[in-house]
Amino acid sequence: MSHTRDLLVRFLLIGLFIVGLGVPPSAAQGVIKIGNLVDLTGPTSDQGKDIAQGRIDAVTYFNERGGINGKKIELVSVEYGFQPPRAVAAYKRFVEDDKVLLVLGYGTPDTEALRPYITKDKIPYLSGSYSGHLTDPRQTPYNFPGGIDYTSQIRIFLNYVKESWTDTSRKPRVAFIYADNAYGRAPIEAGRLYAKEIGIDLVDEEIIPTVLTDATSQLLTMKKKDPDYAYINTNTQWVPVVLKDSYKLGLKTKYVVNNYGIDERTPKLAAEAAEGVMGIQDVAYWGENVPGMKTLMDFHAKHHGGDTHASPYMRGWLWVIVSVEAFKRAGDNPTGESIKKALESLKDFDTWGITPPFTYTNEDHRPTNRARLVMVKGGKIVQMKEVSVERDMKWIGK
Amino acid sequence: MADQLVFMLQLVITGVAVGGVYSLMALGFVLIFKASSVVNFGPGELVLFGAYVSWATILPMKLPLYVALPLTFAVAILLGLVIERGVLRPLIGEPIISVIMVTFGVASVIRGFLNMTWGSDTRPFPVLFSPEPIHLGPVPVSPVHLWSFVGTLVLLAIFSVFFKFSLTGMAMRATADNQQVAQSLGVSVKRVFALSWCIATVVSTLGGIILGSVRGGVDFSLADLGLKVFPVVILGGLDSVAGAIIGGVLIGVLENLSGGYLDPVLGGGVKEVAPFVVLVIILMIRPYGFFGKVEIERV
Amino acid sequence: MQCGGFRTSYASDERIFDTALPIVGVVALIGVLALVPQFATTYWLDVLNRIGIAIIGALGLNILVGYTGQISIGHAAFLAVGAYATAILEINAGLPFYLAIPLGALITSGFGLVFGIPSLRLRGLYLAIATLAAHFITTYGIVHWESLTKGVLGMMVPPATVFGIPLDSDARVFYLIFALVIPATFFAKNLFRTRVGRAFIAIRDRDVAAGVMGVSLYHYKLLAFVLSSFYAGVAGGLMAHHSRILFPDSFTLLVAIDYLAMIIIGGLGSILGAIFGAIFMTLLPEVLKLGATSLTGVYPNAFGLIASTRDIVFGLAVILFLMYEPQGLSRIWLRVRSYWKLWPYAY
Repeated sequence: MSHTRDLLVRFLLIGLFIVGLGVPPSAAQGVIKIGNLVDLTGPTSDQGKDIAQGRIDAVTYFNERGGINGKKIELVSVEYGFQPPRAVAAYKRFVEDDKVLLVLGYGTPDTEALRPYITKDKIPYLSGSYSGHLTDPRQTPYNFPGGIDYTSQIRIFLNYVKESWTDTSRKPRVAFIYADNAYGRAPIEAGRLYAKEIGIDLVDEEIIPTVLTDATSQLLTMKKKDPDYAYINTNTQWVPVVLKDSYKLGLKTKYVVNNYGIDERTPKLAAEAAEGVMGIQDVAYWGENVPGMKTLMDFHAKHHGGDTHASPYMRGWLWVIVSVEAFKRAGDNPTGESIKKALESLKDFDTWGITPPFTYTNEDHRPTNRARLVMVKGGKIVQMKEVSVERDMKWIGK
Repeated sequence: MADQLVFMLQLVITGVAVGGVYSLMALGFVLIFKASSVVNFGPGELVLFGAYVSWATILPMKLPLYVALPLTFAVAILLGLVIERGVLRPLIGEPIISVIMVTFGVASVIRGFLNMTWGSDTRPFPVLFSPEPIHLGPVPVSPVHLWSFVGTLVLLAIFSVFFKFSLTGMAMRATADNQQVAQSLGVSVKRVFALSWCIATVVSTLGGIILGSVRGGVDFSLADLGLKVFPVVILGGLDSVAGAIIGGVLIGVLENLSGGYLDPVLGGGVKEVAPFVVLVIILMIRPYGFFGKVEIERV
Repeated sequence: MQCGGFRTSYASDERIFDTALPIVGVVALIGVLALVPQFATTYWLDVLNRIGIAIIGALGLNILVGYTGQISIGHAAFLAVGAYATAILEINAGLPFYLAIPLGALITSGFGLVFGIPSLRLRGLYLAIATLAAHFITTYGIVHWESLTKGVLGMMVPPATVFGIPLDSDARVFYLIFALVIPATFFAKNLFRTRVGRAFIAIRDRDVAAGVMGVSLYHYKLLAFVLSSFYAGVAGGLMAHHSRILFPDSFTLLVAIDYLAMIIIGGLGSILGAIFGAIFMTLLPEVLKLGATSLTGVYPNAFGLIASTRDIVFGLAVILFLMYEPQGLSRIWLRVRSYWKLWPYAY
């Protein structure tokens, strides 16, 4: 008797379990689902927190105003600790179970790794990664970098070097300092080619680990080659280490940092070592006088006034603003393809002034070719000038 | 030729300076091991804790230094007590693998707690040391490194004296050697453990303050440095204070030398892995390190 | 159902299944598993696949740590070697998966042999630290041998094909994985009925005494490493086919710690323990994620907070299990089972 009872109960439990497995999350009507991938615990978590905050706030903002075409936006958020395998698992979930129509991506390693899947599944992927490898619609038609791509940035750097160089007796010498991961390496090959093309001597390349505590030996090696300028391609957390060590060693090299390496926090983190350091600014800093800033600041103050904030927060808003616009243009029954086309229809789209206007075309997924060159002066970031680089199709996808 | 020499000298001296920080972290590890034979596999998280708490008391709470620093150390002592009492004591006598895993667990909890309380932003660390380098001959050294090295030497002196001559120190060594005999002689083993963890957390906090100053900011990656402790303590001996100091310096120098000479050849990353290669070599030749106590197996 | 053991011969003592009923149960379970992919969503299939891989990996680690008492924190390195070896054999040498996976596992066991050598001289803590170093050295090798492994950029793995059907979905890979989990479990269970298994246990309990008794420490310690890394190699090869993209980041030290947690929480020295531990550790982050997403709908800012709870929950789980149930989930299971069997009697 108890045997059968045993068996029955066991089979019942297993049966329930299986049925439970098979229940997909309810696909509610009248809701637009967007996948959201963020790093909150890994090596880029300091930016991830602000980015996540920005995205969530922006979605709430739009939902408060009726959503898109009457439908509410639902963010399906996954934290992945900057570990690509978790990103891949999250992506699978987004597409197959949650049936998202667009993904707000994050890091370069995972975005680049997902390229074939994104293309096969036809899911528009708006990424925090601005890698040049994502800009060619012929190879990656569904990838849309959310800002000026790293390759354009390194070209801006090299152009700047060339313009500012006055010594006619020799060519300017530059070095690249970059992080040992897909993000750090993304523009380097293109940088090498472009330097050669415009007649700049690339004398040294230094690789720094993703997590950096001491760059002295790398800088000492670089010092031997005596570059006039150096481009740093890593995150805001690590750049101060390079700057401080450089300061300590008394290096005369002038630094230019990419967009993810410099922001309002840099002068505070690197103090004196940051003086005179330049960088590329892709997105408005907190409090800047642009049309959208008041909306953002008010929203932020209303919902979490005491919290910290920095430029990544703006980026979170930016990408949602762009996505919402694309959904609006895609009409009532958006599909991956129609959203892609909608994104490609964006021409000089005003992102509330947070960035230069965005233009995606079906041949060129670089949203903009304009940025600002900034410099740290007197402990603050000061804007020097607007810079741009031609939308040379030669550099698409590199 | 002189250029080459200066280059090497710079690497060596930087290595010594950086090594001073490793020594501090290793000291925390050694102290726990010396007194209680417990291996702490989460030294990085203790340092992280110290860095965050010191940051929190100085910046957001805006306490003056002479209040903030003692407060930080007091909190560190509290942490040591909590760990020892709450977690390690129930595990006395359990197999070593359990103890190792528990320290991982504690490290995880500390990490999660810090993330929850203060979030994962990089926080700029208060400037406690001048950034202007001090020149030792042709080599510039940042004051923070210099001070940390001096600090480690001072601690070395203090602890050597402590363990050799003071009653408590001897009690700690006795406990590490043989708990039961020590107990039978009247040593309060519980107190010894608590004391050793507290000293370790305090020293780790010091390490955290130094690291925070070196980096300019506190964030979670500080904890990853923790694993560097192992090559240091293997080199120096798991239970030797002097070994921790010397090992730290040696590893720092080794790192920088391999960084300066091997990285350009092998393409980066050698600097990080070199200490571990050394660790394996040492383990094969002289497992107890240069100054460690040789364990005699009793069957 | 028996309550209590009345054995009359060595053979009956060693039997895995005492009566016919458990065998029926196991067969039924296998049958149920075969049906699962028809019902489950991709999300759950992905989770189940990861559980399957974790089971194989945990079984391997248990052989080494739980049964032979050799502490190893290098398991992630072995998984990595297995995964990359399998991928490289398939891509560069064009081998089909049913050759690449075993071959990859063999390569991994060669690796295990090399890294097991320190175990002959070192014990306990020192061995643990040596395996830690092995982990970093291996990771360095994988990251920097780019021509072979594509380093940090990631290596894409083409799907395995069975009779021309590509295994490119979680549902299909499920069959591959569980087709290997079942023999892996039985092999491990059987191992400890044999001489080799007993030698391992002897080494764990008192290795000097075992040596005196004639158990060749040299052979058996290395064999333990070889077997354990073979399992890891298989698990790694399956990982390559499951996620189809390999990054050095997939094999961090945290992975090794996760596996250790699996066998400790599950119960050292117990096959069932390894299985339970694997299920528990894989499900834990998923449960937390589910909690997070459901909360986020209501309270958007919860998202950030929940992320940090993962670390806390993991740490607490490890600590609490070690403090209160050092023999892990398998012990709890045994208790539940005997209660169930014997109710309403107390024993």
